[in-house]
Amino acid sequence: MNRRATLAGVLALTTGLTLAGCSSDSAPDLKVVGAYLPQPVSDMAAGFLVVQNNGDTGDRLTSVTSPLSDDVTIHETKNQKMRKVSSFEVPAGGELDLERGGNHIMFMKLKQKPKQGEKVSVELHFEKAGPITVDLPVKETTHNPKKQ
Amino acid sequence: MRTTKAVTAVAFAAAAALALSACGTADDKAESSSIADVSAAPKNKAATVLDQPFTKPNLVLTDTHGKEYDLREATKGKPTLIYFGYTKCPDVCPLTMSNISLAKRELPKADQEKLQVVFVTTDPERDTPASLGKWLSAQDPSFTGLTGDFPTIQAGARQIGIGIDAPKKEKDGTVVSMHGAQVIAFSPKTDEGYVLYGEDTTAEEYTKDLPKLLKGEAP
Repeated sequence: MNRRATLAGVLALTTGLTLAGCSSDSAPDLKVVGAYLPQPVSDMAAGFLVVQNNGDTGDRLTSVTSPLSDDVTIHETKNQKMRKVSSFEVPAGGELDLERGGNHIMFMKLKQKPKQGEKVSVELHFEKAGPITVDLPVKETTHNPKKQ
Repeated sequence: MRTTKAVTAVAFAAAAALALSACGTADDKAESSSIADVSAAPKNKAATVLDQPFTKPNLVLTDTHGKEYDLREATKGKPTLIYFGYTKCPDVCPLTMSNISLAKRELPKADQEKLQVVFVTTDPERDTPASLGKWLSAQDPSFTGLTGDFPTIQAGARQIGIGIDAPKKEKDGTVVSMHGAQVIAFSPKTDEGYVLYGEDTTAEEYTKDLPKLLKGEAP
């Protein structure tokens, strides 16, 4: 009796863990890493980050808001041209890379010029997942982590 | 007692295996995509030395002080870097100019004065001499900024293999401009454009190559 109870308890516990570990199966499971903002040289700035989706459901980044600017848009870069887009895919089990020379968050008409060492707060809004607030550390103008 | 432990261990293992397989798909995908990313960008050297160099374009434009600037005359016999971009460009254009600026500061003073860095706008309607001057001087006051008629700029760019389209207004009112894909280095010996640098060239790579470019040598 005692043995059975122990075994049942162990099974219940591990099953519980299993469920908790994979609850993302039916929802996007988003995490933001590697965020930064190169120190701007004019009244506009670009922000870069990676959104990882460990869930089995895809999501989309639909907008970005920030106290730095009231005019924040998301841009794709193709063939040396950048164009505003309405959303970016964050694929299931994959990631959305906003990186130098590619897709980025664009801040226009900056309310102040952030300096290296400061932080810029942004709120990322998604189609399915709740908003994520992240601080973008301001790096030197030439910062480009993929080359380091 | 022994049996209990063994049974429990088996139960654990089974449950763990289930847990792993249930989450396996997502992990696999993430792994394979990161591997693909790494192999997609193999790169050994920043500079591309041209077998057939370009003749320096015959460009006469307006500098940031509003004065006429004849590219051939002003840069004759001087090591020169040329880039086509626009100031409403938040990423690649300031990155390129700032990288070159950092590299230039590593040169001996006399060499710094020899090196000519010329930024030609691809969006002359929005980049006035004044706004271009302000933007450039925030990165390096010694850089030359040029503006003028778009067709003149486009023709000059085309002579050195740089394709640029005119800025285009989208339906939502935003303007889509285009920057050049490469920085071109002109030799002080031949006045020809003989080395290309892509937009992902770092300050360190420019720093390493500038002393050679100053002498008109292949980096």
